[in-house]
Amino acid sequence: MSLTVKERNRYITEILNGTYSSLKAVVPINYELSKPKLVEQSIHIQFGVLIGITGDIKGKLVLDGQTSIFGSVGETMFGMPLEGEMLTSFSGELGNMIAGGLSTNVAESGINIDITSPTIVQGNTKLSGYKKALHVSVNLENVGEMGICLLLD
Amino acid sequence: MVKVLVTDDAAFMRMQLKDNLTKLGLEVVGEAVDGADAIEKCKELRPDLITMDITMPEMNGVDAVKEIKKLDGNVKMIMCSAMGQQNMVLEAIQAGAQDFIVKPFTFERIKEAVEKVF
Repeated sequence: MSLTVKERNRYITEILNGTYSSLKAVVPINYELSKPKLVEQSIHIQFGVLIGITGDIKGKLVLDGQTSIFGSVGETMFGMPLEGEMLTSFSGELGNMIAGGLSTNVAESGINIDITSPTIVQGNTKLSGYKKALHVSVNLENVGEMGICLLLD
Repeated sequence: MVKVLVTDDAAFMRMQLKDNLTKLGLEVVGEAVDGADAIEKCKELRPDLITMDITMPEMNGVDAVKEIKKLDGNVKMIMCSAMGQQNMVLEAIQAGAQDFIVKPFTFERIKEAVEKVF
């Protein structure tokens, strides 16, 4: 069953708000958000984590940023610098934790989604093939900028 | 000393758990990367406690709990879940796991779960 435009917009709003709340619960760093921007072209990322969303709405959630940003988030959360395999592993788990919180948050608004295991994306990667994409910049205090991309199938 | 097997497909989470469990005075005798590996290492290492992630390749944590309980009814298990996995946690508890901790872990919560189990 296809969604009406109104339903789809509500789902998008709830997913973005659910992601922000989950980020706040998981990452103990103050942040500021940019306004969501509609992405017209393909998305290029150097490093990030991609989580599939299925259920009432289908798409992907991507967290992207420099590896140093993910490393700083890990250091803030767990008190140790991360690099190499541990940084990649942490980044996947960060995506998993945020997406897990997201699914719980949106369920409270009557939206049922399931999330897939995280996939790490690294190296000059182009993401395309989605119907609609939104990008939000997250400025993490004293750490730097991370991006949240919501790609809708 | 309590012997522990740590199970998680993420190396970072295994490291975190190992550090915290060691600080609590437990002996981490092995690490498993999925449910099937946990079953094999449980047979080999005979741990007193297993920490078990839920979403893993090969065999998930809930299925692994069911199989391990058939092998060793005495082994204690603590599930390690992300938020949003309440149904799977409940299924694991019904299958014989004693408690669960939600990622990201804190030392205090791990300590509380271990104290509850023993």
